[in-house]
Amino acid sequence: MVWQKEDKFSYEIFIEKHKTVFIFFVTLFVCLFVRLFYLQIVKGDRYRKISDRQRMHNTYERAARGIIYSKDNNTVLVGNKFVFIVLFYPFKQSRFPSDKSIKDLNKILGKDVKFMIDMSYKCGKIIKLADNLTLEEMFKIREKKLNLNGISVLKKSRRVYYYPEATSHITGYAGEIGPNEIKKSLKHDYKIGDYIGKAGIEKVYDKYLRGKDGGWQIEMNVRGRQLKGYKYVQPKIGANVYSTINLKLQKVAYEALRNSSTGRGAVVVLDVKTGAVKALVSCPGFDANKVGTRDFNKYLKDKKLSLFNRTIQAFYPPGSIFKIITFVAAVELLNINPEKTIQCEGSFKLGNRRYSCWCKQGHNKISLFSAMVHSCNVYFYKLGLRVGAANLKKYARKFHLGQKMEIDLPNEKKGFIPTPEWKKTKLKARWLHGDTVIFSIGQGALWVTPLQMACMMSAVANKGICHKPYVVDKIVSLSGDKIYSHKLNYEEKIDLSDGTWDLLHKSLLEVVESGTGIRSKIPGIKIAGKTGTAQNLHGYDHAWFVSYAPAENPEIAMAVIIENGGGGGYNAVPVGKKIYESYFNMKSEEIVKR
Amino acid sequence: MIQIKNFYHRLVSIMDFQLIFSVIALVFISFAAIYSAGNNYGMSFKYLSVQLLAFSVGFLGFVLVASFNYQYYKYLDKIIYVLSFVLLFSVLIFGSVKRGTRGWFDFGFISFQPVEIAKVMFILSLASFIDKKSKETGKVSFLISVFLMLAGHIILIMMQPDFSSTLSYFPVTLILLFVIGVRPFYLFCIVIFSGLAVGIPFLETFLNMQLQFLKSKVFLTNFSISLKTGWICVCIIGMILFLIICGWCFLWELKIRVAFIYPIILCASILLGYLSSFVVENSLKDYQRKRFVVFLNPRFDPRGSGYNIIQSKITIGSGKFIGKGFKKGTQTQLGFLPEQHTDFIFSVIAEEGGWVGAQITLFFYFFFVWRAFVIAKHARDRYGSLVAIGLTSMFMFCIMSNVGMVMGMMPAVGVPLPFLSYGGSSIFSSLCAVGILCSISMRKHTHC
Repeated sequence: MVWQKEDKFSYEIFIEKHKTVFIFFVTLFVCLFVRLFYLQIVKGDRYRKISDRQRMHNTYERAARGIIYSKDNNTVLVGNKFVFIVLFYPFKQSRFPSDKSIKDLNKILGKDVKFMIDMSYKCGKIIKLADNLTLEEMFKIREKKLNLNGISVLKKSRRVYYYPEATSHITGYAGEIGPNEIKKSLKHDYKIGDYIGKAGIEKVYDKYLRGKDGGWQIEMNVRGRQLKGYKYVQPKIGANVYSTINLKLQKVAYEALRNSSTGRGAVVVLDVKTGAVKALVSCPGFDANKVGTRDFNKYLKDKKLSLFNRTIQAFYPPGSIFKIITFVAAVELLNINPEKTIQCEGSFKLGNRRYSCWCKQGHNKISLFSAMVHSCNVYFYKLGLRVGAANLKKYARKFHLGQKMEIDLPNEKKGFIPTPEWKKTKLKARWLHGDTVIFSIGQGALWVTPLQMACMMSAVANKGICHKPYVVDKIVSLSGDKIYSHKLNYEEKIDLSDGTWDLLHKSLLEVVESGTGIRSKIPGIKIAGKTGTAQNLHGYDHAWFVSYAPAENPEIAMAVIIENGGGGGYNAVPVGKKIYESYFNMKSEEIVKR
Repeated sequence: MIQIKNFYHRLVSIMDFQLIFSVIALVFISFAAIYSAGNNYGMSFKYLSVQLLAFSVGFLGFVLVASFNYQYYKYLDKIIYVLSFVLLFSVLIFGSVKRGTRGWFDFGFISFQPVEIAKVMFILSLASFIDKKSKETGKVSFLISVFLMLAGHIILIMMQPDFSSTLSYFPVTLILLFVIGVRPFYLFCIVIFSGLAVGIPFLETFLNMQLQFLKSKVFLTNFSISLKTGWICVCIIGMILFLIICGWCFLWELKIRVAFIYPIILCASILLGYLSSFVVENSLKDYQRKRFVVFLNPRFDPRGSGYNIIQSKITIGSGKFIGKGFKKGTQTQLGFLPEQHTDFIFSVIAEEGGWVGAQITLFFYFFFVWRAFVIAKHARDRYGSLVAIGLTSMFMFCIMSNVGMVMGMMPAVGVPLPFLSYGGSSIFSSLCAVGILCSISMRKHTHC
């Protein structure tokens, strides 16, 4: 085809240009197609999220945290109290609550609630009108709900710790989440203002305890006006935690510690058969109800370190109770005759230094057995030198010293066992025989936690089986499903010959019967234990008492330490006795009841 | 009588129904989208009825224009041009002001924007002029007279002032000149001239906005400050001019003879472009320039000039594959999307119809443009081809700049989307243009 009145040539030129322009336009269209695809398919999810975010406004109603129970009688250790607050929330798009409804509200409350709206007020914003209503007031407001436009009553839960000081280190506490924690726990979607467990069970089992917040979801238009109906989601209460704590024992232990010589110290009571923690006390405790108030700051500055959980975070030199390990190592490795005696003259000379025994006059002729019973240092100095530092370390590690016990409480410390290599690299000094000597009676750079000592006793009582300690037995959700239960487990058994165990058990029993632990003797019950008086550079000696009972069929193992308490036999042992008394009283009461 | 009937029967039977089909489809999409967009303001029925009225008036115009032989326009070109001139001139005197622009004839219940129809009239007269002078395309005097024709319209429109409407004149003129066979070199010079004239002020505005974001980056900050003060700009221009002269001398040495006029024209267009950039800068208000460049990075001003682009992108993107459903688009219905029934109507379609809906809409446009090109190819004479190409370029420019703007890839110039945007004048003039296209296609075999 050719144009009218034109030659073929000019038409052909035109067709060429026509084609170029057409291709150009097609390219432009392709650009649009690609861009559209990119925006809607590639980036669609992102933009959908943004568009949802800018129209949805959430108002949260905080879910109550779960309850923490004790083992005996399921007493509530930590619960919730509900308070009622009055809110102004204009669900029906009224911009102000009418004067009449404010007047009515004031009549009910007997107060003068003033309602102020400033320029920054946006429709749909919630304003708190009154706090801490009584039940009566709450019901009155609910009755008159029809008259009170735009005013609603909301239930708000508050955490209550019923046994504030005695159980504080086990239950821990919950508080408002800090900005750093939000960053750390992004995947668990915490938001500003949420409560999060900060210590103890509250922290470790936070994901079970916290529940799920409910609230209103409101769709707003660009001017901040609520348009469509709102969706209300009932908050989901958190799951209940059943701890292994025996509240009575815990209270007795706390009282005993508080009335001890310095009022600072720790007690750990373990169930030998399972590893369940029956009591875990660090004294002084704190009042977790004061979290977030000004009073709580006083704990932060407290010189007695009440927020510090001594049972798992404090390092103490074990002192004489480490002799159990020296004893075990010597008997296993050296084939010692326990009746053979050694002369103790009150001190031991090595090179030109003197290492003294606690008994200045000396124990005279003393055998291994009685050295254990009377805690003779000189005997163990000599024994330690024969066993050697490496073997002592090996046996200490077998009893889990220098390792975490993996208890389900936060911030557990692992303690420390000194070695020649460590001394060389860190202190740039050679390991001397003197180091071995003091290592063998649990001094020097040896650090343990009370929990480790309790576990050691539980292993001794069990002939080598040390169950992993735990504080939470089971967790039951609101609907009654068991969502967590503890499984018993222990790491490998401590492999010692039966003869060694028998000898150790006999000597530990004798410690309480006639030795340094005699003050814990309870008629009718055989207790086996060991006392310790650990010297430390920072002050008076620490008083230790580790034990288990009954000796023939062990049920509980215990470690007691009184910080700077002085002699173990005088100070720590009576605390242990009180706990045993209450434990066995409780048991006999139970039997009588049955 | 029977003869006339037969004549029309013959015309209608060879009408381009595919073109009309795509237009009708777009108009129906427009009704749905405008209904949905008006829902937010509670104006659905008002908008829809105005749109329906405009469509029916436009349809009347379409029928009239289609039955009129387009070849007469060729002989009426001077009258058409003068008429369009009068229209634009009278709107400056009798027009009413809307959003700072004196561009509307207000008839009480309905208002009319003469620029829309003036564009079509300009294309008709320009095509006629080019067609008549098709043998003289090499002459500079030809180019000058074309641009004088263009300037007449541009100046009148800029006096309203309506910056965005003037923009569509340039691509249409350039494409028509290209098609008639003007040397690409001249067109290149024109592009450089206008690019500099418009580009420099906008670059400056962009750098100005960017400065607030570049506090730490010392080099970029210094660079943009020196660009703004102008001296570095003068240096760059001088260097480019120097390079062009050197290049020409170099080619001369290599015995490649390039006429001396070429570097002169090139240099002159660069210089003129640079100089006229000051005129452009002064004739535009600050917010207009900001709005124009903010698409490069809307985050510069998320609550001000960048707001529309950001919201539009969110609106389109959140539609995803199948969209949120008719009248269920949250961005549209909750009012986050501005100007939703006019400039941003495409975003409404993309949100509520999803990728499927938006892609189908774009395909209809593509189909429409393709049919228009076919009409241009099969036209009876050169005048018909030129008019068809000119009208298509006008549509193409509107589609490209509107959809591109909505998707954040083009500057925000308020160009309505043909057939889709709410607005009587746009619909009416678009349908008249389609009528001209149909008139061309119907008469490919006859001359009456």
